[in-house]
Amino acid sequence: MAIPATADLSRHSELKRSITARQLYFYVVGDVLGSGIYVLVGLVAAAVGGAFWMAFLAGVAIAAVTGLAYAELVTKYPRAAGASLYVNKAFRNPLLTFFITICMLSANMAAVGSLASGFVRYFSGLVGLSEESIWRGTIVAVVFVALITVINLIGITESVVVNVVMTFIELSGLVVVVVIGVIALVTGVNDPGVLLQFSAEGSPVLAVLAGVSLAFFAMTGFENAANVAEETIDPSHAFPRALLGGMLTAGVVYVLVSVSAALAVPIGTLAGETLLEVIRADLFFIPATVMLVVFGLVAMVAISNTALVTVVAQSRILYGMAREDVVPGVFARIHPTRRSPYVALLFGAAVVVSLLVIGAAIRTTQADLPVDDQLDVVDRLATITVVFLLFIYALVIVACLKLRGSDETADTYRANTPLLLLGIVGNLAVLVYTLIDDPAALFWVGGLLAVGLVLYLLEKFFGHKQPGAPGEHPAPATAVEAPAADKEL
Amino acid sequence: MHVIVATDGSRASLVAARQFKWIADSREITDVTVVAVVSPFAAVPFANELGSQRPTELTELSFAREAQVAVDLVAAEFDGWGPTVHQQIRSGSPAQEIIRAAEDVEADLISLAAGSRGLTQTILLGSTASRVQHSAPCPVLVCRPTRNSERVTS
Repeated sequence: MAIPATADLSRHSELKRSITARQLYFYVVGDVLGSGIYVLVGLVAAAVGGAFWMAFLAGVAIAAVTGLAYAELVTKYPRAAGASLYVNKAFRNPLLTFFITICMLSANMAAVGSLASGFVRYFSGLVGLSEESIWRGTIVAVVFVALITVINLIGITESVVVNVVMTFIELSGLVVVVVIGVIALVTGVNDPGVLLQFSAEGSPVLAVLAGVSLAFFAMTGFENAANVAEETIDPSHAFPRALLGGMLTAGVVYVLVSVSAALAVPIGTLAGETLLEVIRADLFFIPATVMLVVFGLVAMVAISNTALVTVVAQSRILYGMAREDVVPGVFARIHPTRRSPYVALLFGAAVVVSLLVIGAAIRTTQADLPVDDQLDVVDRLATITVVFLLFIYALVIVACLKLRGSDETADTYRANTPLLLLGIVGNLAVLVYTLIDDPAALFWVGGLLAVGLVLYLLEKFFGHKQPGAPGEHPAPATAVEAPAADKEL
Repeated sequence: MHVIVATDGSRASLVAARQFKWIADSREITDVTVVAVVSPFAAVPFANELGSQRPTELTELSFAREAQVAVDLVAAEFDGWGPTVHQQIRSGSPAQEIIRAAEDVEADLISLAAGSRGLTQTILLGSTASRVQHSAPCPVLVCRPTRNSERVTS
């Protein structure tokens, strides 16, 4: 009568995947939308001028092509690791894979930092906090990061419903901006010719490129979708559609919002400020005083949503690294009841908080310097990590082309090759321009890469001697040695 | 009688499976379905702490595979016990999917651990266990280690 469990496997072991194409679509829209436009619109406007919607358009186009490569790779290898996995598959170089992982991790941390300062800008606008009080703003940012971490510790982000609700809130805020833009166009606030004005001297192409790297930052977040690829129903069909659909939706909204902002507010007012300026123009049929509060709350929800997902991705990277023994095993600790990787979450929060505090400390010492010479470490890191991301994205597209012909099945999604080549050129063009425009970034990039190299060497020489977390699993100490042998891929 | 045995990859869930085996009469049971639930939106969709913890390649970490290892290990407990053993890996919210699994196979009993570690294992009731109890379509056995069961199961 004894039937071994395995005999029955073929019939009954089944994976019940849960994420539908529609849920994935909202996940992508929610991820991509919040991060950029609410935080960056003023910076892009300052960099480009009235035509800054073109920077968003170009950023969206490049990101969408990168999304094509992701879609192809995800349908081939539906795993959580994303870029690191694809680069590893294509180049088989452990050092490169390690760098990609470190870059993604630092990009995530810098993003949380800049989202926190974006949150502070809206919060200050709402409660009338002076921009001058650096420390008060920092306290708000630190509380924000702490709250996001606590929510993740509890595990609230797991709810699909919450995700969709948040996405609708984000969209509604932007729809208001677009409506204001239409009103501005009809009543003729700004001359529509503003849409073709460039503030920078010289070639308009360069002006747009200058804005693209900032606008591109607004499109990041789509790679988080790779995390949930494993659980998507019929991924080879659902994934490309949901990913591209989501990115294009976000892209259309971005372009519309930036056109509206340019029409409703003088570029000088918008430059360096938030979308609140559009509301302050008081063109909507609801009085600006009311709308400022509502819109401020919507923007804060949008920023929080993106920060939540970014923190999840960050702790997942750390968890994976701990499982591989790249970082101490303690990072793989899971909270007993909430099942969240609490050590990884707390460590990430600690890094971001110290970034914010160090940034504030540096700014207080620079109070007498002119504004342009002041160093904002958090924003600086955010622009540096964009450099990394551009490089990683270009590399992912190369990996996609390199892996053509291997591991393909009948229903692997296949991205358009000329478009992919164009994507590589686009990513590299923005990358090169960012570096020419801002050569000091090279020092930062070099510094971060050096930190990565030191970590890699530490892992190589000391990593394998590390026993598992104290008292956790004494067994792995021996098991670690086995995979180490075939590691020189 | 068809029984759902749930695992979340924790040691407690393995001990609970053994305790269920100790409590139950295998002659009454025709089928056992071992269920694990992967939660894709969570930071760690599935954490397996059972079996030898072989560190995976960073890039190859697959939560579905982690769940499969956990289910295999718990299912192995019922090898040669009598009932036919089935396996299921579902994805979504743990409590909801355990209940759905019970509905799908028209289970007569759900067996799970009170909680995975710490206080939930000894005093409190874990959120998954309490949610399953709340809306299960059948009786629920919430396993909690006792001194007697410890002697047999450990």
